[in-house]
Amino acid sequence: MIWKTAWKNVWRNKVRSLVVIISVTIGIFGGVFAIAIMNGAIEQRVDAALNDEISHIHINDPAFRDNYDIQLTLDQPDHLLQTIEATPGITAVTFRTIITGMANTATKSAGVQILGIDPEKEKTVFRLYETTIPGTGDFFEEESRHLLAYIGEDLAKELNIIRYRIDEPVLEALVRKEVPLSVMEKLRPFVGYRFKSEKSFQKEIKGVLTLKEQRDYGRVIREEAWSFRQRSRMTLTFLDNEQMQTGAVFRIAGIFDIRNSMFEMSHILVKNSDLLQLTGLAPDQFHQMIIKLEDMQSATEISTTLSEKLPDLEVMNWKEIQPDLAMMTDMIQKVYTIFMVIILAALAFGIVNTMLMVVLERTKELGMLTAIGMNKKRVFNMIMLESVFLSLVGGIVGMVISQAVIVLTARNGINFASYQEGMEAMGYTAHIYPVISPLFFVMVTILIIITGILSSIYPALKALKLDPAEALRTE
Amino acid sequence: MKVLEIKNVHKIYNSSEVKVHAVNDISLDFEEGDFAAIVGPSGSGKTTLLNLIGGLDSPTEGEIIVDHINLAGLKSSGLIDFRMRNIGFVFQSYNLIPVLTAKENVEFIMNLQKWNKKERDERTLELLKAVGLEDRINSRPAKLSGGQQQRVAVARALASKPKFVLADEPTANLDSKSTETLLNIMEELNREEGITFIFSTHDARVVKKARRVITIEDGQVISDERKN
Repeated sequence: MIWKTAWKNVWRNKVRSLVVIISVTIGIFGGVFAIAIMNGAIEQRVDAALNDEISHIHINDPAFRDNYDIQLTLDQPDHLLQTIEATPGITAVTFRTIITGMANTATKSAGVQILGIDPEKEKTVFRLYETTIPGTGDFFEEESRHLLAYIGEDLAKELNIIRYRIDEPVLEALVRKEVPLSVMEKLRPFVGYRFKSEKSFQKEIKGVLTLKEQRDYGRVIREEAWSFRQRSRMTLTFLDNEQMQTGAVFRIAGIFDIRNSMFEMSHILVKNSDLLQLTGLAPDQFHQMIIKLEDMQSATEISTTLSEKLPDLEVMNWKEIQPDLAMMTDMIQKVYTIFMVIILAALAFGIVNTMLMVVLERTKELGMLTAIGMNKKRVFNMIMLESVFLSLVGGIVGMVISQAVIVLTARNGINFASYQEGMEAMGYTAHIYPVISPLFFVMVTILIIITGILSSIYPALKALKLDPAEALRTE
Repeated sequence: MKVLEIKNVHKIYNSSEVKVHAVNDISLDFEEGDFAAIVGPSGSGKTTLLNLIGGLDSPTEGEIIVDHINLAGLKSSGLIDFRMRNIGFVFQSYNLIPVLTAKENVEFIMNLQKWNKKERDERTLELLKAVGLEDRINSRPAKLSGGQQQRVAVARALASKPKFVLADEPTANLDSKSTETLLNIMEELNREEGITFIFSTHDARVVKKARRVITIEDGQVISDERKN
């Protein structure tokens, strides 16, 4: 009866209750959706890091990471592979030869890490090959008499391998993408012109377009004007096994785009066989074993097992390789909780105010209830339940709306195009698919109930202090 | 059999400037089945006396004993429990719970006393029939007239079979017809269930119906008459 009465009391003053419910709904929706976006960005970052960049476990010589000395290779690779493959929970293993060097084109140069890989094995551990920009190459699929290199989009831009041009096909494509004619007219003077770098292209475009036009169409113009000449070349120079300067000309076997500027700028993949030949390393020499696991959460456990089996080697799991990722995944739930607690604390003041009004308005009724024998515990519970119902109705509506918006936006993602450069510089994609776990909703529900209970304490104590005889005299 | 003894009760309200002797040395006994009216002018102490009897207020001096229980010996929580089990209240302005139906209002106290559903339903229907509202069991107070609301209040007061019902000016807001209906119902319930009724009133129609009339003035009993 107390539950039923409390529920009915919530709807006694519909307008006032709806104001509180709507404020809770908006607060919860805002909090949950913002967290879903953050969570989506972080999950995408972790997913990209583990599938494109580092995978789950690395094994190398203990001193290798200090200065990437070419001579610190792994011994007895077959024995090593047997040991690794005998460990449960491992799905794939690949190896890499890693050297540092310089990438040069006619106009630019950049310091890079050159990764010698076996393309087929690499595909079993990483899905970097899936991020190849169409039309730029095939990730070493096609046999070639040339040396081949697979590079990141940002490095390709830096080395002026990617250029920008505006010609008739580009303008036609822009028409199809509904760029207005007024903008097209401004671009027409550039037809036939090739820009040497992204910077110079953007400088010219900014010179003719308004800020609004840049914001609305800048991205699509840049994407269409992007141009790459098949089998572009660059020179890689590095020190060989004898510490002698060496190098060779490599043709581009593809350009990958993982929306992480740092990784794209600093890594070049080449065939391991080519790199061994150029460095003078033996065919069974390489620097790093990379292991993919069935479950990323078992990385610590499996890396500990492998460390025990391979005491002379350095075994590092992804949490040790990229502690920032580990910190994010470990801490993020706490951060989300704090975020929601702050929102609910703000909402709690509104609920307290409403419940105080409820007690004030119902003084006579509360006096009557005490007079006829409703004890303090029941009066307290009734007011507490009203407060919890108020919060919970708003909270549930907020969560339902949040989930609906998350599902809708997760279909195509949300594009934060204006922040793309900054986000990609930090390794985050600007195209985010919001996501939230069902467990999060359980946590929010518990927090809402706690908020309702805490918000009711002060008003309920006020109600308990009422003297029934005096309360009954109230008009 | 005595159900209520009031022994030399005083109630003094001390405000910052004035000392009000609301009840001044009153001693009264009530028998089981009494149908008594406490009458007197406004400010004579009727409501204060009812509040003291009902355990809503405590006397400054003297004793109130209900069924051998001295109310002075009960703490706040004990008093609430005492009221729930022993006293039915009827208020001047009905004081029903507006969000509950007539049926829910009547069974509210039975719920507090944890009666089972079958017993509750039977008792509620029996009482609503007795007060002539069996066809309005699902109506909320706002949909009932003043007289009907007061009848629901009487049904609620009797729901848990209390030792006595205290009614503070129960007919003050009712028209003649509703007053007559209500008084007849209360008298019938008093006879059938043997429950003691004590009214505070200055309504002549109630006084006429009452079998015992206690007149108080300035907090003191002036007369105590029993009718045959």
